[in-house]
Amino acid sequence: MSRFTVGLDSGAGRARIGNKAASLARMTELGLRVPPAFVITTDVCRAYFENGQKLPAGIMDEIRTEVAKLEKDVGRTFGGGEHPLLLSVRSGAPVSMPGMMDTVLNLGTSDDVEAALAEETGSPTFARDTHRRFLEMFARIVLKATITELPRDATSADWRAIIEKGSGRPYPHDAHERLELAIGAVFASFHSRRAKKYREHHGIPHDIGTAVTIQAMVFGNLDHRSGTGVLFSRNPLDGDRAPYGEYLPRAQGEDVVSGTRQPLPLSSLEEQLPGIHVELLAAAARLEVDARDVQDIEFTVQKGELFFLQTRSAKRSPRAAVRLARAFVAEGIISEEEALSRVTSDQVRAVLRPRLAHDATEGATVLARGEPAGPGVGQGGVVTDPDEAERQREAGIDVVLARATTSPEDVHGMLAARAVITETGGSTSHAAVVSRALGLPCVVGCGSGCERLAGRTVTVDGDKGVVYEGLLPVVRPDEEADEDLRTLIAWAIPRAPLGVVRAGTDRDGFTPPEEAIDLDRAALAQLLAGKDRVRGAVFETTVGVMAAVDAGVRTIVVHRRLPALLASLEARKGT
Amino acid sequence: MIDTQLVMHGLAVKKLGSAASVAAILGVEEADVAPVLDALVAEKKAVNARGNFMLTPPAQAELKESYAGTFAALRENSDLTGAYDRFEVVNREVKQLVTDWQTMTVAGEQVPNDHSDADYDAKCVDRLGELHERAEPIVSAFAAVVSRFGAYGKRLEAALDKLEAGEQSFFSGAKVDSYHTVWFELHEDLLRLLGRTRDE
Repeated sequence: MSRFTVGLDSGAGRARIGNKAASLARMTELGLRVPPAFVITTDVCRAYFENGQKLPAGIMDEIRTEVAKLEKDVGRTFGGGEHPLLLSVRSGAPVSMPGMMDTVLNLGTSDDVEAALAEETGSPTFARDTHRRFLEMFARIVLKATITELPRDATSADWRAIIEKGSGRPYPHDAHERLELAIGAVFASFHSRRAKKYREHHGIPHDIGTAVTIQAMVFGNLDHRSGTGVLFSRNPLDGDRAPYGEYLPRAQGEDVVSGTRQPLPLSSLEEQLPGIHVELLAAAARLEVDARDVQDIEFTVQKGELFFLQTRSAKRSPRAAVRLARAFVAEGIISEEEALSRVTSDQVRAVLRPRLAHDATEGATVLARGEPAGPGVGQGGVVTDPDEAERQREAGIDVVLARATTSPEDVHGMLAARAVITETGGSTSHAAVVSRALGLPCVVGCGSGCERLAGRTVTVDGDKGVVYEGLLPVVRPDEEADEDLRTLIAWAIPRAPLGVVRAGTDRDGFTPPEEAIDLDRAALAQLLAGKDRVRGAVFETTVGVMAAVDAGVRTIVVHRRLPALLASLEARKGT
Repeated sequence: MIDTQLVMHGLAVKKLGSAASVAAILGVEEADVAPVLDALVAEKKAVNARGNFMLTPPAQAELKESYAGTFAALRENSDLTGAYDRFEVVNREVKQLVTDWQTMTVAGEQVPNDHSDADYDAKCVDRLGELHERAEPIVSAFAAVVSRFGAYGKRLEAALDKLEAGEQSFFSGAKVDSYHTVWFELHEDLLRLLGRTRDE
């Protein structure tokens, strides 16, 4: 009789097995093949803390039994043998929060296991790398050892010696003992300072606990009918209906993450393993319908058998977010309300950002090239002094700020600029970080001579990292001319808490002073109290619209309606 | 009374800021800083634009010139230079992390992070928390030599507090005392003190 653990098919809810296991359980329910796993429930987490941070008596016996079942399922043995079983151990709270322990992969490896894996996969490098990565992960996450990267050319005995020194305790040679320590570390992380603080701030009870999922690892590098990849049920870049994915034959997930090998397009899977390709696409369609959203699916093929490792709603570009929201309503999958809640005002602003017209760059003179560091297109006269940038902008002139590098003294000049370019620095430089924070197009590392562009009129393409001479033709997308955006506007109008009118020729309405842009939501709402109709730059921002809703304003006048409409809906959801 | 040169230094680190923000950099009271800033304006060493102060170019040059003398002993202090070397290591990781926070990867392409993935954001905040734990002893080492550096430690912690409580702008917002804003000021202060140049 199981007291502490449940299987993926147990029907236990999210509250007992956590988000990640619930997702695996759902895939199992849908008939998809998931690597065998069992879950230690959140009840055990509570018991662990009631017990003075000790695992309850008898749990390890039950876990041995469960591990034995996994061994039987996959035909491998834990801690040794010719075909060794490796496990992943992951935390899984019913709500995701910071401070929780990361996943420990490849638990079960050792010197003997490394040798066996080298034999089985035909790749001693892989086996050794797996061993080293496990030790690093285990040392940092579970043993809390202060170590840097383990040297690749050292022996495994050296590695363990480094870890013993860094953690101040002997390395546990028994695989079950390592598993026990990893489980304890997951539970302990639930009461980490960061996790507690997050729960307090968000009103999440401290006793919800976390579950621990223990899962057999599958291998995508065993033979020519093995591999690993990612599939999106639709294209997350442009929202196109066609599935989009990558596949890396004879590889483990780490090979994709580390970028040591270039993944192939999904078509290569179709050529190599057509049956798997068909199975995968069918599963993607099923998962998408089930989740009612585009899915980002991780999979591994082991000796011609397809395993699903994870599925979740896909991250998407702003353009894709808009397109998908409308498409899902058209297909009858979601309601108009839900479509509106899936698009943010920031995403719409990004879609409406000016961009270079088609063919605009043909024959254009390139003045500088660098690293793209802030997306979008900006135009103006080049100014090298931030004070000058501010003065010109106040006089209504568009400027591009060019600096050798930027520092805090330049921020007021950046605020005044339409774009920023620098001579030195990469994508993590001050200019890049601040430009992204301000939503400014930015190109960094253009090389010396940028400041000599002073006085010339340029076009900065922050998406491609190019500075062109002159004012190239720019398209300013019109929300009323875009079918996706127009549809969303029509859905939003009857649901918005206030009227949103497109600025025309009239001048009716209260216009707050320019400084209002620096006020926070509450202060701005105070300023707007009692006003019926308002207009001005501050209402092109999310905070401005939310304040207007708070103040009971009835109509706002703006240049772009959809960002304001969405912001007003966001305001009603409360903060 | 606070040393005029120290206020000039604080303003130089802030570049453009109110009496309150200069006081925050130096870890002192605004009331102590304000009269010194006003005096600097009277001496034409600073300008006051709508409550925000800035050193004039000659005053900037004068201050820079004075550093070698003022900070001569500190520049030889191996506790300080050793801590700075450790700071540089963490600095590279902080910069990378801020970039990771601001961007996300959609099918291999970098796009601005739309903060729709709570797991991804939580991981970034976690990593910052870990880096902060590594930075704390380094900032303490600075403060052991120059006590006012303790103020940076408190401000970094305040930014992290707000961030961990869910105020996202305190990661890298340019208009608030975000972790990146304070970190960058700390770096600028150290560079001036030690006479180093920024390595981008």
